[in-house]
Amino acid sequence: MSTTTQAQTNGVFDAWVADGGDAPAGPDWLQAARRDARARIATQGAPTAKAEGWRYTGLRDLMQQDFQRVHEPVSALQPGDIDEALIPGLDAHRVVVVNGRYVPQLSALGTLPTGVRVGGLHAMLQSDPAALEGRLTQIAGAGCHVFATLNTAAMDDGLVLLLERGAVLQRPIELIHLSVGMDEPRVAQPRHLIHLGDGAQAEVIERYLSLGDSLYCTNSLLEIELGRDALLRHRRIQLESPHAFHITGLYLSQGANSQYDGVNIGLGSAWARTDLVTRFRGEHARCDLSGLYLAGDRQLVDYHMDIRHDLPNCASSENFKGIVHGRGRAVFDGLVYVAPGASKTDAAMSNRNLMLSENAEVDTKPQLEIYNDDVKCSHGTTVGQIEPEMLFYLRSRGISAPLARRMLCLGFAGEIIDALGNEALRQHVAEQVGQRLEQAPV
Amino acid sequence: MDQQLPEEPGASRQRNDWGRNMLSVKGLMAEVGGKEILRGLDLEVAPGEIHAIMGPNGSGKSTFAHVLSGREGYTVTGGSVTFDGRDLLELEPEERACVGLFLAFQYPVELPGVNNTYFLKAALNAMRKYRGEPELDAVSFMRLMKDKLKILHLDDSLLKRPVNFGFSGGEKKRNEIFQMALLEPKLAILDETDSGLDIDALRIVADGVNALRSPERSMIVVTHYQRLLDYIQPDHVHVLAKGRIIRSGGKDLALELEDKGYGWIVEEEAAA
Ligand SMILES: Nc1ncnc2c1ncn2[C@@H]1O[C@H](COP(=O)(O)OP(=O)(O)OP(=O)(O)O)[C@@H](O)[C@H]1O
Ligand SMILES: [Mg+2]
Repeated sequence: MSTTTQAQTNGVFDAWVADGGDAPAGPDWLQAARRDARARIATQGAPTAKAEGWRYTGLRDLMQQDFQRVHEPVSALQPGDIDEALIPGLDAHRVVVVNGRYVPQLSALGTLPTGVRVGGLHAMLQSDPAALEGRLTQIAGAGCHVFATLNTAAMDDGLVLLLERGAVLQRPIELIHLSVGMDEPRVAQPRHLIHLGDGAQAEVIERYLSLGDSLYCTNSLLEIELGRDALLRHRRIQLESPHAFHITGLYLSQGANSQYDGVNIGLGSAWARTDLVTRFRGEHARCDLSGLYLAGDRQLVDYHMDIRHDLPNCASSENFKGIVHGRGRAVFDGLVYVAPGASKTDAAMSNRNLMLSENAEVDTKPQLEIYNDDVKCSHGTTVGQIEPEMLFYLRSRGISAPLARRMLCLGFAGEIIDALGNEALRQHVAEQVGQRLEQAPV
Repeated sequence: MDQQLPEEPGASRQRNDWGRNMLSVKGLMAEVGGKEILRGLDLEVAPGEIHAIMGPNGSGKSTFAHVLSGREGYTVTGGSVTFDGRDLLELEPEERACVGLFLAFQYPVELPGVNNTYFLKAALNAMRKYRGEPELDAVSFMRLMKDKLKILHLDDSLLKRPVNFGFSGGEKKRNEIFQMALLEPKLAILDETDSGLDIDALRIVADGVNALRSPERSMIVVTHYQRLLDYIQPDHVHVLAKGRIIRSGGKDLALELEDKGYGWIVEEEAAA
């Protein structure tokens, strides 16, 4: 990359990391990591159209926006204002982040079991930075794309969830990201850290929502570390304004015999890019990622996965389904790397897509790089349409064509929606998917 | 059957007002995949009647059933179909269902992920809405389903599964008749509902069908086997060959066919 381009791209991101926020400087190790991130932004620059991992993810619209960093916390919101964002019947410890800031007065933590700490990142950086050392900025590490680097440099507020060895959360933690429109387009860069000690168990329901349908960008980053035998159920629901830009980097580090069970639901925003990155630190760990995405007219939904098996006896699976309509676009790029020493790796990847219009587009790219013969690996992708005989069968029973199509789409998506497990959440997502399909011109 | 029809003068006059027949097919011609399949098919079905259609493989029986129910891919190139005084061919498949037409598929379609109960409720409510009736509440709906399941000796675990998905061949066929019992059509077309049923299931299905017989409900029963007609007594038996009804008769015709096959009629027809 030439010096002039660097200077330009550097300029482009200046506003994303502009000073003036209330973020605490933090301990020396963090300051060093953030200085390092700032330096890397200049050399990384914005990905070009040809850059590996961005080829199908047009950045033009995003880069054309003049996003300004949010510095002021949103203080005007009262608990009643977020009622419409709540899921009926969902019993959870609630943490609310508005425009990248943890807002205690909107949160409802309730009583937490012993061994569980939940708090805001900024607050914890001041009260107990030692609890974050060796984890924060370490799990995502270097080698991330520029948006992750930007997040590290800016580091808005977010959730810190720490479970001591053996701690078990009975109720899920619900993390609500709320974006409230401002006069001019803003970028919020929430940063979360989840650590489960050996044998700890938790469920996190992470939701991205908008109040109103404004234009903004969320560039969030999660670092998750699972100790030996730990179990994390992670449900991620993205349902944002049709004008929103959304970036998530999820970096996962798994200890021996740990289990990560992740379900990703991507329903809304103009443009969404998610990177799911898994590393195993011990054997017999298992990482299951499933997902459902709906890309409507002119929407882009992009899931990138990077699963690296360096050790033997670990298992990973990716099962993603997509429904694309209008001039919607979806990208699925799943890389599973199996190192020469990673014998007995079990890796399965599947991506199935349902296209509801001729102008819909899907770029699906499963990549298995396997350097060991003693493994069980599979992958499959499909891109298809609604089967005419299924549609006819429903219509022959009096069901209108639009409802029949919706029923078949929901049938297709049902497997992933059911994987959410939690009944209140399952119902909420099924309704939302149904509504999105109802609005779709199919 | 005929003596069961209303005999008072008022009722018969009413029948004459909209034509005697529920279904009137005249000179129906249809193509599929550019191939001419139906070549001038005539059939008249009065309310309450049961018509059996038999005929060699590939003669166009399922094609006829599909054209009646409005499946895409079939082009009607001639003739007319009147159902209850309406031009049936003008209607969308779902409208045909709503005005009272039901097809029990020869090959019921599996719908992975579509819950059977949800499907049945959607179908029933779509029809009620069409008729201007309110949707059934959950309790009345479940009660209705339980009643109909009993008639078909079906296990209610089938309701929790996706429609036809992983059902055995016999379960699929019984599920078709179960749907018919629930939706209570005016005219049901049963396309080889007896194929693939064991002897007990055949009995159950036939009993189910007979339980649904009424002076207002007609049926067209497509079958290869005379045995079904021992259980479901038809008023008329037709032979469909090369896209036309080439012979019609009573129940005796089915017995004769069982005995002699189709060859002789096809030859007689060709000679005529
Ligand atoms: N899509 C299609 N393209 C071309 N020919 C078709 C198509 N669908 C059906 N046909 C042909 O139409 C003819 C009639 O088929 P149909 O299924 O109606 O027969 P049938 O009388 O129901 O036979 P069976 O007793 O075996 O069920 C057959 O020759 C069949 O191959
Ligand atoms: Mg047939």
